[in-house]
Amino acid sequence: MFNLVQLLIKLSGFLVFVLLEVICFSLVVRYNGNQEKVYTNTVNQFTGWLQKKSASTYQYFQLYDENRRLAKENARLLDRLANVGINVQNPLDTAWADTLQPKYSFLEAQVIKNSINEHHNYLVLDKGSKDGVTAHSGVVSDDGVVGIVRKVSKNYSVAMSVLHRQAIVNARVRHKNYFGPMTWKSKDIHIFNLDNIPKDAPVTKGDTIETSGYSTMFPPGILLGVVDKMWMDPGSNFFTIEVRSFAKMSNIQHAYIVRNIFKVEQEQLEESVITEDE
Amino acid sequence: MNNIVVVNVLRFVGLVLLQGLVFKNIGVGWESFPYLHIIVFPLFILLLPLRTPKTLVIFLSFLIGISVDFLYDTLGVHASAAVFTGFARSLVLKMFEPRGAYNMSYSPTIARMGLGWFVQYVAILMFAHVFFYCSVEAFTFVYIVDIMIKTIVSFLASMVFIMIFQLLFNPLD
Repeated sequence: MFNLVQLLIKLSGFLVFVLLEVICFSLVVRYNGNQEKVYTNTVNQFTGWLQKKSASTYQYFQLYDENRRLAKENARLLDRLANVGINVQNPLDTAWADTLQPKYSFLEAQVIKNSINEHHNYLVLDKGSKDGVTAHSGVVSDDGVVGIVRKVSKNYSVAMSVLHRQAIVNARVRHKNYFGPMTWKSKDIHIFNLDNIPKDAPVTKGDTIETSGYSTMFPPGILLGVVDKMWMDPGSNFFTIEVRSFAKMSNIQHAYIVRNIFKVEQEQLEESVITEDE
Repeated sequence: MNNIVVVNVLRFVGLVLLQGLVFKNIGVGWESFPYLHIIVFPLFILLLPLRTPKTLVIFLSFLIGISVDFLYDTLGVHASAAVFTGFARSLVLKMFEPRGAYNMSYSPTIARMGLGWFVQYVAILMFAHVFFYCSVEAFTFVYIVDIMIKTIVSFLASMVFIMIFQLLFNPLD
């Protein structure tokens, strides 16, 4: 302590000098126009440089979050890729060129008309036959299945919304492979019915429902919703399942029309077996 | 003791008025030659008694500097140079310390220390003061050549006036 006091006494001249110079310089830049300009200019240059440095440092620390975001995005895209690649779905002994060819392609379309409060709701999309849209193509959005194309003109196509009493989407329980038709019977635009799930299926509330891929309209694995309520009607061998949908049907603006490249081939094959049996 | 205090107070007031009312107008009025400032007020700092404590010297330097600033309307510019000079005084005094140390009851004047010693002492501190003053006035070393020219011209003019005063009055303290 004594040493510290001694040191302070020894340095007192210097300390007073520094203190008074600081006061003087603040007075100089405060009350003298010319010096003030030089000062603010220099300070601005310095702070500009400092801000640039700190911004780049901050970005560096953001890299972790950015990486995670990109990894998530990658996972999502890989998921999609796996669902689209034919070699994952059908490990058949076909030629390489075929197996590497994608099975589905997506065509971006604008929704130009939409209804949600009828029993039979329709969507109008701004892509038509000139863009290669055919009837019975699926329509999906970022958060799920939207509908099925019914009729196509040159520039437009009309799709039956999933909110249509006759719309049937082939659905399955994710990771459990129990499948059945999903229909809209309720009055709530978010509640759908899933039928044909046998009573011994280990389905629980909260399970994810997705497209099964058994129809030619939708690729497998597109989100439909989650199991909201489930019960068994007396005398029935099947669950009655209510599914809460993810799709925001009321404010849909962009949609993707699904084109199944092998659709014709698959349908002809199926048809030929059916006619043979008859 | 009282005599020394009175002498220094009078010197303080006299130099501030001389600087602020007379030499200010010489510097400013000479438009054709802007490289000239005649600065004499640091003489007060230089002539403070040798026994004045270091911190007191610096405080008094600030005081006379800010007083001149009020008359020049350049708040802080002269004060910063004066504070620097006050700080440098003790270092220069140590540098020029004669064999057998200072007589602490003296003031550093021609009568006490001799003309040769006094000229060196004043020259170094005045040069430092004028250079510091010109630097703060420009406030950037971008114009270092201008600053140097201004410093040398002003320093020579100031030295002439300071030496005239000293030889004229030749004070003991």
